[in-house]
Amino acid sequence: MTGRFRVLALLLTAAVLQATVFDEIRLDGVSVECLLLVSVLAGFHGGPERGATVAFLAGLLHDSVGSTPLGVHALVYAPMAAMAGHLSVRLVEGARTLAMAGLIAAVMVGVAAAAGVGALFGLHPVSGVDLITTAVIAALSTLVIAGPTSRVVRWAVTGGLPVDISLTEGPAAGGSSGR
Amino acid sequence: MAAPRPTGVPRPTLLILIATALTLLTLQYRGVEPLGAFQRGVRDVIEPLRTVSDRVVSPARSAWNGLLNYDDLRAENERMAAELARMRGRRLSAEADEELLERLLGEVDIGFADLDTVVVRILGTPPGNFATHTIEVDKGSDDGLAEGMPVVTGAGLVGRLESVDRARSVVRLVTHPEFRVGVRLVGSQDEGLAHGGGRTGFLVIDAGVRADAIVEAGEVVVTSGGRSRFPADIPVGRVLDPGGGSDFRREIVVEPAASLENLSFLNVLLVAKERIFDPSTLLDPGERSG
Repeated sequence: MTGRFRVLALLLTAAVLQATVFDEIRLDGVSVECLLLVSVLAGFHGGPERGATVAFLAGLLHDSVGSTPLGVHALVYAPMAAMAGHLSVRLVEGARTLAMAGLIAAVMVGVAAAAGVGALFGLHPVSGVDLITTAVIAALSTLVIAGPTSRVVRWAVTGGLPVDISLTEGPAAGGSSGR
Repeated sequence: MAAPRPTGVPRPTLLILIATALTLLTLQYRGVEPLGAFQRGVRDVIEPLRTVSDRVVSPARSAWNGLLNYDDLRAENERMAAELARMRGRRLSAEADEELLERLLGEVDIGFADLDTVVVRILGTPPGNFATHTIEVDKGSDDGLAEGMPVVTGAGLVGRLESVDRARSVVRLVTHPEFRVGVRLVGSQDEGLAHGGGRTGFLVIDAGVRADAIVEAGEVVVTSGGRSRFPADIPVGRVLDPGGGSDFRREIVVEPAASLENLSFLNVLLVAKERIFDPSTLLDPGERSG
């Protein structure tokens, strides 16, 4: 399966899950931010450029299933993924706690930023104390599915990418490109 | 072994994506139809999966709620019992004052009860954590629904259809800050424009009513009809605060007649499409944004 089909399958699956299971199971009325999670992880695993592209498409899907104007979430998710991509390069390998804290912060910022963009465009998203509560609950509940989702996103977004060649360990160190 | 992480300079790509998102937003605000059709198409494609998910998860969710929210359910049951007793008391009181009741009913003249309706079931809020003051219902264009149609309960106006897919629709509630409806005060016969009060849960009449008009707390408020998208005389609520403190601007707070909590089923009034979609002849200027 080529990289593009993997990404397509990932996005469609995430969109369906967002609109079905995660729409049904809500904590205090707040659902898991599956597509935002995929966006952040796409930046983390795929790097800023590919991550931003995947996140943009994830945002469009979120706008479609969630009945928000097309572009609201895409406008937020792409920079979030690019930021996650930049930060991941600087993150020490194995710093799991730091990565989890970063993910929680990213989801909270993503939820708040989407609400901010919506308000800028004259919509009336959740705001005030409700927004803080929503962002916190969404981040914590999203963290629950972060582990398995991370493996799937890494499988999807790194397939087909050029392999980084490590000069110290030789050309085999980067592994297969998956294409 | 960790997968390779490609690095690079994402600025051009990111800028292009941001520009594209802004363009899409702008086009959608201008009403470019293919974008709306794309969104409806995506929702229609996943609709069967959502229905299956709803049926599978619903019993488990009910059981989960029963286990975790037992105290809440019991409190809710007690509240409903108290509400029922209060309603019975009100009914007796109303029967005792039949003359007044008939006069009020004559003034209200609930004409909307004669319109064809479609009963819809509330599914919850739209997916995601973004939307407020909107709910999703289980019928759409396949059942004859169209955007803009009024949504009511036996108690009165609940909202209007904001977006309609083939098998689902989103209702904009009367409390939504951008909900607009032309209203008439039954006592004074003054007409004005009400909008949703957002988090307050009320409606606010802030245009049309004279500053010196005599408005009493508890006065019945109904839709004004006329050129409005809503038929006349749908109960909207009762005046909670008549306002009147300022000579220049008057804000009358209205408590919605239809309780928006614990709703399960709603009625959509099948108002003719022409009445809804011809803005040049059918809408009050202030209502066009709502």
